[in-house]
Amino acid sequence: MSAGVLDREQLGHLRHWDNLSRQWPNDWSLMQGKGTSQDDFGGYRFQLAYMVYALALTHRHRLPAAPGVFRPTMQRLIEKLLLPEVWLYWRDVSRGGSVFNAHLVDQLHEEWDPVIRDNIMYSAYVQSCALLHDHLFADDRYAAPGALTFRHWSFFWGGGEKRFAYDRDSLTEHLYWQMVENGYLGVACEPNCVFQICNQPAILGFRLHDLIHGGSRADEVIAGYEKAWADFGRLDDNGHYAMMMLSDTRAVRPNEAPSPWVDAWCGALMTMWNRDFVHRHYPSQVAAFLVPGDDGALSVRSAPAREVMGQPVVIDSCDTGWVTAWASEMGDRDTLERLLAHADRRMGPTWRGGGLYYPRNDTPTDAHGRRTDIEPMSGNVLLGYARLNVPDGLWGLYQQPWSPEHHEEPAIVEVDRDVEVSRAEVVDGVLHARLRRETAVPGDGRVTLGRLPGGARLRLDGVEVSAPDGVLTVPDGPAVDLVAAPGTTP
Amino acid sequence: MSAPPIRATFSLVDHHDRPVTEATYRGSWQLVQFGFTHCRVVCPRALAKLGEALDLVGDAPVVPLYVTVDPERDTPAVMRAFLTGAHPRFTGLTGSAAQVEEAAAAFRVFARPRDDGTDQIRHTAITYLLDPDGRPAHHWPDTVDAATIAADLARFAGS
Repeated sequence: MSAGVLDREQLGHLRHWDNLSRQWPNDWSLMQGKGTSQDDFGGYRFQLAYMVYALALTHRHRLPAAPGVFRPTMQRLIEKLLLPEVWLYWRDVSRGGSVFNAHLVDQLHEEWDPVIRDNIMYSAYVQSCALLHDHLFADDRYAAPGALTFRHWSFFWGGGEKRFAYDRDSLTEHLYWQMVENGYLGVACEPNCVFQICNQPAILGFRLHDLIHGGSRADEVIAGYEKAWADFGRLDDNGHYAMMMLSDTRAVRPNEAPSPWVDAWCGALMTMWNRDFVHRHYPSQVAAFLVPGDDGALSVRSAPAREVMGQPVVIDSCDTGWVTAWASEMGDRDTLERLLAHADRRMGPTWRGGGLYYPRNDTPTDAHGRRTDIEPMSGNVLLGYARLNVPDGLWGLYQQPWSPEHHEEPAIVEVDRDVEVSRAEVVDGVLHARLRRETAVPGDGRVTLGRLPGGARLRLDGVEVSAPDGVLTVPDGPAVDLVAAPGTTP
Repeated sequence: MSAPPIRATFSLVDHHDRPVTEATYRGSWQLVQFGFTHCRVVCPRALAKLGEALDLVGDAPVVPLYVTVDPERDTPAVMRAFLTGAHPRFTGLTGSAAQVEEAAAAFRVFARPRDDGTDQIRHTAITYLLDPDGRPAHHWPDTVDAATIAADLARFAGS
């Protein structure tokens, strides 16, 4: 049984992600954050990947019988994830020079291949998103040789084409051996910087790989990860998640400020294989970050902006988004609803093309000191992720995968752009769906039903209809309920 | 599981102080485990498990090799004494620090002293299988049991 009928806001987030996925290549409208060169936590790679994750969660838990809603959008988002604008930062970041790896610059060199070494903050998202797609849709789209190819060529500079061909399996193999070489502590993001957070998506990828191919890579990596971090502790002295480790010195950087995003992001992900631990520490961790408003809502208190080497560190912390997503995964409904209430009152929810988002706002507070700033990662992606996730949603995706029989059940396998699907589930062999024509976007108003049993009978709002080749046109007007039931035996 | 993407080369000395490379054992399957004789938990368990697997598989042209990640303490004599007593099937391999480091890199093995003040070394506990031409054929993570390894060995190296 799925989680009922999606509400207007939830549908708005799905529509917004679909709209963003349809923007022209290199049109990053509404997605540009404060940082430069895709270096920080609000980069396109994170927005694209967590839209894919959120779509996966929604499909798994809320609209299990509507692969047609999710599959094309996920494919378009993954296609964007492979665009050089998303990963070209690695050519520069691979050379080092940050405060954490400045002493290594003589050993490092410019690297074009964005997954060949380190950079798990990108490679694991490509891996896990491709595997999510193939797992959820019982597909081998990204198993084809070269299906995940990173290429760049410029008319204006740089000589010949740069092309690095991978697929979901070769990339997974490559990441696995990087894990082995690093003693399972994890693969670095920037050189020398191993973040706990950014190795969690790779673990999800290994799990999905195991589900597709068999084997126990995920269990092996987790066992190694647990042993490796046992020497240092996953939590710092103050009970917050250790942020990162410096590979060369094995010095652990605590979440010293503490920064909400460190705990929230790590907790929201690590719970998939370590649920009891994450749940146990959540209440005390999250309490450090929540600010009650006089209206009953909650906002998130960010750590003070830092200065390093005399420079202000300009990043999208995405604190509001990550804490809200974390609360949703923890099933902390009260906190989730109050955080969303604050966002709805103070962060300018906006409807565009039938989609809902919270546009970037760099103004820290309103005249009353209430938080108003929000980054594209939170406003485009994470608040929607939180609204569509269910308690233990990522845990369920990881621990309770669909059986092969799921892919034999009746389903809505194709959906025109202008059709809104707010319910799609199979109960006792009967497909139940709720459909509506959305006038804010173009389309032909059709859905295609697949895997229907022979002689299936279809009803729209109780009236029997026909669907030649499974194609059904959704009428204009209010939402209609579709029921597709097996035919009765005479 | 596909063949591991490793170079699988080494230039070391065995526990009889004879220089060896991966070519020395050409014609036999090489079962390669990295570890160190002072290891308290992982290596004794792994060596016992591999011994059990070899018992299960019976007569197969397999040469079990135990490569140290602790060359300073694991001299040929130390390895000979350790293996002859407890794990007589295995041949111990050691060498200079540079040789051992090179061998570990060729197998993508991680090895580093623990940060807890003990004399223990954290290291990759994967077991590798090289074919009779010295090419990587298979690998098993530490979590795999003796029966599985024996079944795989029989499939690869059985007559």
